[in-house]
Amino acid sequence: MSVPVENYFLLSSFMFLCGLLGVMFRRNLIMVLMSIELMLNAVNIIFVAASRQLGQVDGQVMVLFVITVAACEAAVGLAMVIALFRRYGTVNTDFLRLLRG
Amino acid sequence: MDALYAIPQLMFYLLAGLVAISSLMVVTSRNPVTSAIFLVLDLFFVAALYAKLDAHFTAAIQVLVYAGAIVVLFVFVIMLLNLKPDALRGIRFSVGEAVVLLVTLIGFVIIGAELASPVPEGLPAGPLSVAAIEEAGGNTHVLAMRMFTSFLWPFEIASILILLAIVACVMVARKEKPESGKHNLKAGAGR
Amino acid sequence: MGLNELGLNVEWLQWNQFTVDLVAFVVKFALLAGGLLQLPPLLVWIERRVPALMQRRRGPNRVGIFKFRLYGLLQSLADTVKLIFKEEVVPDGAHKVFYHLAPVFCVFPAFLVACAIPYGPDLNLFGYVIPLSVVRVDVGFLFIFAIASLAVYGVTLAGWASNNKYSLLGSLRASAQMISYEIPLGMSLIPIVLIYGTLDLGDIVKAQSTFFQWGVFSAPFSFLLFLVCMFAETNRAPFDLAEGESELVAGFHTEYNSAKFAAFFLGEYVSMFVLSCLAATVFFGGWQVPFVKYDTVVALMGGSVNLAAIVCHIMLVLKATFFMWVYIWVRWTLPRFRYDQLMSLGWKFMLPIGLANIVGTAVVLAVLRFR
Repeated sequence: MSVPVENYFLLSSFMFLCGLLGVMFRRNLIMVLMSIELMLNAVNIIFVAASRQLGQVDGQVMVLFVITVAACEAAVGLAMVIALFRRYGTVNTDFLRLLRG
Repeated sequence: MDALYAIPQLMFYLLAGLVAISSLMVVTSRNPVTSAIFLVLDLFFVAALYAKLDAHFTAAIQVLVYAGAIVVLFVFVIMLLNLKPDALRGIRFSVGEAVVLLVTLIGFVIIGAELASPVPEGLPAGPLSVAAIEEAGGNTHVLAMRMFTSFLWPFEIASILILLAIVACVMVARKEKPESGKHNLKAGAGR
Repeated sequence: MGLNELGLNVEWLQWNQFTVDLVAFVVKFALLAGGLLQLPPLLVWIERRVPALMQRRRGPNRVGIFKFRLYGLLQSLADTVKLIFKEEVVPDGAHKVFYHLAPVFCVFPAFLVACAIPYGPDLNLFGYVIPLSVVRVDVGFLFIFAIASLAVYGVTLAGWASNNKYSLLGSLRASAQMISYEIPLGMSLIPIVLIYGTLDLGDIVKAQSTFFQWGVFSAPFSFLLFLVCMFAETNRAPFDLAEGESELVAGFHTEYNSAKFAAFFLGEYVSMFVLSCLAATVFFGGWQVPFVKYDTVVALMGGSVNLAAIVCHIMLVLKATFFMWVYIWVRWTLPRFRYDQLMSLGWKFMLPIGLANIVGTAVVLAVLRFR
């Protein structure tokens, strides 16, 4: 008797949607980065649940790699946030639109 | 009596609820510090879910790396920049955003339908059931064997990625010194 | 004798492995939490009497009930009562929720970490084997580091939420220090994992059955690194810059008073105790009695596993007490570091040594095993 994998999928998709909406509708760059972390985590949940369901550990190995990449992404992203803040005095995405044309 | 045995089951629903609520709070709270704290809670509960799925090593790494390091960085930066609470941006879609949202939703529906359909007969259960993992020396052991044999190259590439990230962070976040020339180079190398 | 014959038989509860584990978990956690709550008053007393001893003063010795002064032990009791009944003052401009939540973030990880320490060999009650740690985690090491790293949030939030410059500076210092020293702390224990080949603290203790198998002999450099990082992790002197009185008033808990101030103390002392226990467990054989094998202890106790467990538990507590003494001893011996010294010690000295230690241990082990 265990929790069916669909429930994990539901949870994961909800979390992913939260992250996606955060990326789209938050102005603060730091909030955007945090939302990306949420999305990565949502994927990780499915990886682990599926690895249990399928009797493999590959999913867990993938999660470890995702965590590594997430750590790098967060570090570089935050470094960029600090550099941007120093240069422009804001981390609001509405003002940081030089590349938007 | 049955309620007692259902505790591990109910734990999933409790944890799932907590994860859902805290993810919602992460994206909706106005204060960045509140968001960061809810992110920590969220990651912690997700780790608990991993532990429930017998992925103890992954759960520990999740808390160690995410909650212990990544979100600390977030909190640090938020406090350094002294960010004020900001208003939520109004819901105004650009075309690109609407398309992304739509595609994501369609993808979810497809995967969900796939999952909800009955499992075809004769799908192999996979060689590593929980009992088999226990017999082979525990989750950590099995995971390590897999990681350092089949996934050796990705593992090495990941280490190079980390190195690149370190260099990138130092270069990007470095303060630009007004002086130029040798002196500047020296100051950069010293750090 | 089964539990069912003991009159503990309730209609709706049948004793089997699951229910026994559940009840044992609750009882063990209650005992542990109750025990840990006794720590701060005792330690505060020790922390006043010991420096008095070192500096040839008397220390607190007045408070007592009638004629029983107990060397001032009741001073801590009086202090506790005072702290709890003091009026709570919440500073203006403080973030209300986080201000009240920060002590919780400080205490909760400390208690959770304490759950993973093996406090003794397995008990055998009514035919059920009950391990003497609240939760038996097969990745005990990582569990402890993972949860202990959450303590940073308590400190950071406390400083940020108080709306005070000293608090914020103290908390930034403390969190930078804690995440810097977590790395060498973790690295100092990797050789132990390499040597004993397991992440399970219970198995590590079992592997140290004879005196010269203790971790301190098989990995001496690890022990030295661990000892230094231990002080930095708990923000204790000589690394107590987070609350350097001469610079920052009291650091991150400047604006705290009454019961919440006491909660910070509780968190600090519990994490001191946990790290002492960890040091004893990993480097000094945990609950193993020195020079006597566990089987011999059982035989000496007349074959009773449970009596042997009690003896072994006392052994662990004694070893942990030694490290607590070291904490206090060092505090009153060494002056405080400067902040840049602290950081350069952490990153330029401890980190390379930790890495070299890991590589060296791995090479030696590889040579030994391939011979």
